[in-house]
Amino acid sequence: MGSYLVRRFGLMLLTLFGISVIIFLMLRLAPGNIADILFDAAGFVDPAEKAKIMEDLGLDKPLPVQYAQWIGGLLQGDLGYSYVSDRPAIREILPRIPITARVGGLALCFAVLIGVPLGVISAVKQNTRLDYILRVLSLSGLSMPAFWLGLLVLMGFVSYFGTIPIYTDAPQSFWAALGMYSIPAAVVGFRSSALMTRLTRSSMLEVLRQDYIRTARSKGASENVVNYHHALKNAVLPVVTVIGIEAAFLMGGLIVTETVFNIPGVARFLVEAIRWRDYPIVQNLVMYIAIIVVFINFTVDMLYAALDPRIKYSG
Amino acid sequence: MSSIDYRAELARAGANVEGRWSAIRFFARRYPLGAVGAMIMAVFLFAAFFAPLITVYDPLTTNSALSLARPSAAHWLGCDFMGRDVYSRIVYGARISLAVGCGSMSLGVSIGVLIGLLSGYLGGWIDLAAQRLIDILQSLPLLVMALLMAASLGPSLHNTIIAISIPLIPYSARVVRATTLSLREQPFVESAKAIGMSELRIALRHILPNTLAPLIVLATAQFGSTILTEATLSFLGLGIPEPHPSWGRMLSESAAEYVRTAPWLVIFPGLAISFVVFGTNLLGDALRDILDPRQRS
Amino acid sequence: MIRHLRATAVGARLLAGFGAASPALAQKQGSILKVYHRDSPASMSILEEATISTVFPMMGVFNNLVVYDQHVKQNSLQSILPDLATSWESSEDGTQLSFKLREGVKWHDGRPFTAKDVACTWELLLGKAPEKLRTNPRKIWYHNVESVTSNGDSEAVFHLKRPQPELIALLASGYSPVYPCHISPRDMRTHPVGTGPFKFSEFKPNERITVTRNADYWKTGRPYLDGIEYTIIPNRSTALLAFEAGKFDLTFPDEVTIPLMKEVKSQAPEAICEVRPTNVSTNVLVDRDKPPFDNPDIRRALALAIDHKSFIDILAEGQGDIGGAMLPPPAGVLGMPPEVLQTVVGYSVDVEKNRGEARTIMGKLGYGPEKRLNIKVSTRNIATYRDPAVILIDQLKEIYIDGELDTIETANWFSKIARKDYQLGLNVTGSAVDDPDQQFYENYACGSERNYTGYCNPELQQLFDRQSLEADQQKRKALVWEIDKKLQEDVARPIISHNRGGTCWQPQLKGLTLMVNSIFNGNRFEDLWLDR
Repeated sequence: MGSYLVRRFGLMLLTLFGISVIIFLMLRLAPGNIADILFDAAGFVDPAEKAKIMEDLGLDKPLPVQYAQWIGGLLQGDLGYSYVSDRPAIREILPRIPITARVGGLALCFAVLIGVPLGVISAVKQNTRLDYILRVLSLSGLSMPAFWLGLLVLMGFVSYFGTIPIYTDAPQSFWAALGMYSIPAAVVGFRSSALMTRLTRSSMLEVLRQDYIRTARSKGASENVVNYHHALKNAVLPVVTVIGIEAAFLMGGLIVTETVFNIPGVARFLVEAIRWRDYPIVQNLVMYIAIIVVFINFTVDMLYAALDPRIKYSG
Repeated sequence: MSSIDYRAELARAGANVEGRWSAIRFFARRYPLGAVGAMIMAVFLFAAFFAPLITVYDPLTTNSALSLARPSAAHWLGCDFMGRDVYSRIVYGARISLAVGCGSMSLGVSIGVLIGLLSGYLGGWIDLAAQRLIDILQSLPLLVMALLMAASLGPSLHNTIIAISIPLIPYSARVVRATTLSLREQPFVESAKAIGMSELRIALRHILPNTLAPLIVLATAQFGSTILTEATLSFLGLGIPEPHPSWGRMLSESAAEYVRTAPWLVIFPGLAISFVVFGTNLLGDALRDILDPRQRS
Repeated sequence: MIRHLRATAVGARLLAGFGAASPALAQKQGSILKVYHRDSPASMSILEEATISTVFPMMGVFNNLVVYDQHVKQNSLQSILPDLATSWESSEDGTQLSFKLREGVKWHDGRPFTAKDVACTWELLLGKAPEKLRTNPRKIWYHNVESVTSNGDSEAVFHLKRPQPELIALLASGYSPVYPCHISPRDMRTHPVGTGPFKFSEFKPNERITVTRNADYWKTGRPYLDGIEYTIIPNRSTALLAFEAGKFDLTFPDEVTIPLMKEVKSQAPEAICEVRPTNVSTNVLVDRDKPPFDNPDIRRALALAIDHKSFIDILAEGQGDIGGAMLPPPAGVLGMPPEVLQTVVGYSVDVEKNRGEARTIMGKLGYGPEKRLNIKVSTRNIATYRDPAVILIDQLKEIYIDGELDTIETANWFSKIARKDYQLGLNVTGSAVDDPDQQFYENYACGSERNYTGYCNPELQQLFDRQSLEADQQKRKALVWEIDKKLQEDVARPIISHNRGGTCWQPQLKGLTLMVNSIFNGNRFEDLWLDR
C-alpha cells in the first residue's frame, strides 16, 4: 500500500504536468487575444500599440518560453499579473474563492444529505409508488438546465416576496448570510441531489442482486440488516466516487448560478476571464481547479483500495 | 454493442414474447416510466425529422408586427423579440439538440469505451498511458473543459459537438475500466482463458456486455447532459451561433431580457430541453433494467 | 471670438444662478446613491477606454477644462460651461486656444492642480509623453492639435495646425478629463486620481465600483451625495428585479429596453423612466473593394432594400430615429431633417417602391427569384449586433439576396474587420459628441482607424475640412447636410437607424438630466441628491 501511494502520487504530478500543457496550449489556440479585446471599445486596433501591449505582457515570446515563465512563477507562488486589471492574479483570485466555496459546500451538503437517503429508500422500496415518485422527481431534477431552475426560483422569489437577496460581502447577520448563500446553493444542490439519488439507487440495486446478499438473506439475516448493513456498505463505494467527481462537477452549476444570482465568486470569474483572454487568470484558475480535482481523484482511489477488497493493487 | 439480442434480453427479463407488438406491450406494462420516456423520445425524433411537415411558419422569418406576440391560435407558443414563431423554432431546434446529443454522446462514449476497455483489460503500459490521458481529461469539470474547448475552437455546430464530447470521454472510460478491472479477476473470465479463448474475444464477449448496464445508464444521462451543456454554453455566450434555432440560445437570449415581459420565451424552450432530457433518462432507466444481465431473477 | 465670449457669459450667469437657487430648492446633503452597473469595465482610466461602462462611474471623479451644462438636454456649443478653465480665448488667426485655469484646485491626493497637468494630459493623448497610454482610442479627436503648453501655473495653450472652432465641443465631453502629471497612466487604470466632486474609492471587478464625496471639492456645497455605489450586475433581468425591489435608485443608463420598461412601470409604478436618443447608430459595413459590393448598382440596391422603420419597430417598438450619419433633429443639432432625408436614396417612405427599384437593378444584373445572390453577413455575437443582422438578412431576401449570418466573437471582431474579411458587416457606432468634427473624421475620413470600410472620397474630405473651419452655424449646417446626403448615396456605410435607450430611477433621486444627443457627457452627478 505504501509504495502504491508513492507511485500514485508520482502519477498525479505527471497528470498535473499534462493538464498544464493542455490548458496552456488551448488558451493560445483560442482565436483573438487580450490586446484585441483591450482595443474593443476603442473600435479599432492600432498595430503599433498592439505590438507594445503584446511585448509588455510577454506575449511576443515563443510559446515554450511563455510556458516556462508561467510554470516557473507558479512554482514560486507567483501567478503573474491580470492582463485586464493589472493587479497580481493572486489578489484577483484569492478573495473570490471563499464565496464560491461557501455556495458549493452548502450545495454539496444539500446534495448528499438529501440524495443518498432518498436513493437508498428508492432502491429498498423498488417498484413501489414511493420509488416511482422519487425516480420521477430525481429525473426531472437532472433534466432541468441549472440556470433555468435558477431563473424560475428567482422569479418565484420576486413574485412571492417582492424581493431577492442580493449578494453583499457584508451581510447584516448570520441568517442574512445563510439566506444569501443557501438559495443559490439549493439551486445548485438540487441537481446534484437528483444525481446522487439516482446513483445511490442504481448502485444499491446492483448490490442487492449480488450473490452474497442473497446468501445473507437465505441464511436468515433480517431484511433491515441485509439492506442497511451488507448492501449499503458495498453500495457506498460508487457513490463515494460520484461525490468526489460531483464536488468538481458542481463547478458547472456554480458558474451559471453565480451568473444568475450575481454572486462574484470564482466560478463566474473564470468565464469572464476566458472571454477576456486574460491568460494569467484563466490558466492559474483552471490549474487550481485541476489540482483540487486531481487530489479528490487521488483520495477516491485510495479509498477504493481501502474499501474494496476485490481490487488488488500490485506494485 | 450491436451484439445485443433484445428478444433474448426481454425473455430473460421474464417476458413471454412472440411478436414485436407483444414485446412492446410487455415493455409498456412492465416499465410504464420507460414507455413514457420512449413516447417522449418518439415525439422528439418525429419533430426533428418531420419539422417542415408540422410547422406553418419558417423559424427564421422575422416579422415586426409579431414582436413578443403572446401565445395565440395562430402562434401557439407566441413569438420572440424579432417576431419569429416560437413553436417553429422549438420544432426546428429539436434537430440541433438531436445533432448535439447524438454527436457528442456517441463520439465521447465510443472513444471512452475504447480507451477504458484497452486500459482495463490489457493493463501494462497501455493502461498507464490511457490512465494519464483519462486523468488529464478528468482533472477538469465537464463544463470548464467544454468552456475551454469551445473558446479555443470557436463557435459553430461542429465545434460545439466536439467541445462537449471531449470531457465526456473519461466518464465512460472510467466506468468501463473499473468494471473490466474487477471482471478480469472473475472466475468466468479465468475459465474462458483456460479453455483458450483469445484475448480479443474475451474482451468483446465477456467483458464488454458486462459493462453495458452502467454504460447505458451513463450514455443516456450523457445524452441529456450534452443537451444541457449546449444550453449552458449558449447561456454563457459560447455555444451554437445564430441563426440556428438552438433551444439553449433561445433560452439564454430571453433569460436575460424577457423573463417577465414574455415568460413564454423562457418557459417553452426550457420545457423542451427538460422534457427531452427527462424522456431519455426515463427510457435509459428502463433499458438498463432490461439489459442488465445480472438482473436475472 | 464672439462665440467664446458668449459661452463664458452663459457660464457665469448659470454659476450665479446656482448660488441663488440652492437654498430655495432645499437639496438634501448626504446619502449614498445606489446604481447598478451593466458590466465590469477593463479599467477605470477614461482616457484609455471607449465605453460608457468606464465614463459613467468615473466622470464624477474628474473635471474637464470645459464641460457641457449638466442640466441642458441638448449638447451644443451654447451649453458649454467653464470647468477647470474659467475662460478661454482663441488667437486672431484661430490656431491658438488658451485657457485661463481655476486657482486653488487640488487633486484628490492633496497636490495642487496646475497648467502642467493640462499639458501632461494632452501629451499623453498626442502620444508625446514618456509613458504611453495602453490604448488611445480618441487620438483622432486631436489630429489637428500640434501641442499643448503651459504658460505659468494658470494658463494652458492648445496650438492647432489649422483653425478648428469646434475643438471646444470635444473638450467638453466626458471623454476629456484632465489627468494629473504626477500619477502614471498605469496607476490611473486601477486607482484614478482627479479633481472632481467624487473621490475614487474602490473597484472590485465583477462586483462593484464605489466613489465617495470629495470634501475639498472646489465648487462649494457640492456634491450633495456622500458617495455612489455601482453594483455590477451583468444580467439585465436580475438587475431590473433588484431595481424594482428598491435596491437601486437608478438603472444603468439606456440599458432598459422598451419591453423591459413596460415591466418596470407595472412592477414599480412610482419609478420614473425616460427614453432618449443615445447617438448610437446601427449601420452596415460594406466591403466596396470586392465583389459583389464593388458594383455601385448592387450597393444602391442594398440601400434601397433597407426598411428603416421596420428595424425600429421590431427592435424598439418604434422608439428610434431614421437619419443619416448625423443624429437627426430634434435631438441632433446638425442632422438632416425629414424633408431633406426624404430626398435621399433609400429613405423614401414608400418601401415597396424602393424595393421594386432594387429588384429591377438586381434583375438587370441577372439575379431573380430563381438565381439568387449568396452573401455572408458578419456581425458580433452580441444581441445588439445580431438582432438587426437577422432582420437585415430577412429584408435582403426581398431583393434576391440570400444572406448567411456569420457571428464573430468579440475577441476576433476588429481584427476581422481590419482584414476586411467580410462582405457585409453589421455594426453599431456610438458617438460621444454630436458634432461632425467627431463623426465625419472618425468614421468616414481617409485613413481613420475607425473608418473600417476604407471609404475614401477626396472630394468629401475637402468638404469635411470646410465645415470644420466654418464658424457660421447656418452655413455649416447646409454643408453638413450636403456631406451626409452624399455619404448615404455613396452607400459608404448605410445607416439603419439611430437608437434610443431607456433609463429608470426612483422618485427620491433628484437633479438628474439625461442628455439627448450623447450618453457620455452628462455623468458628473455633482448636483444629484436623494430625497430620503
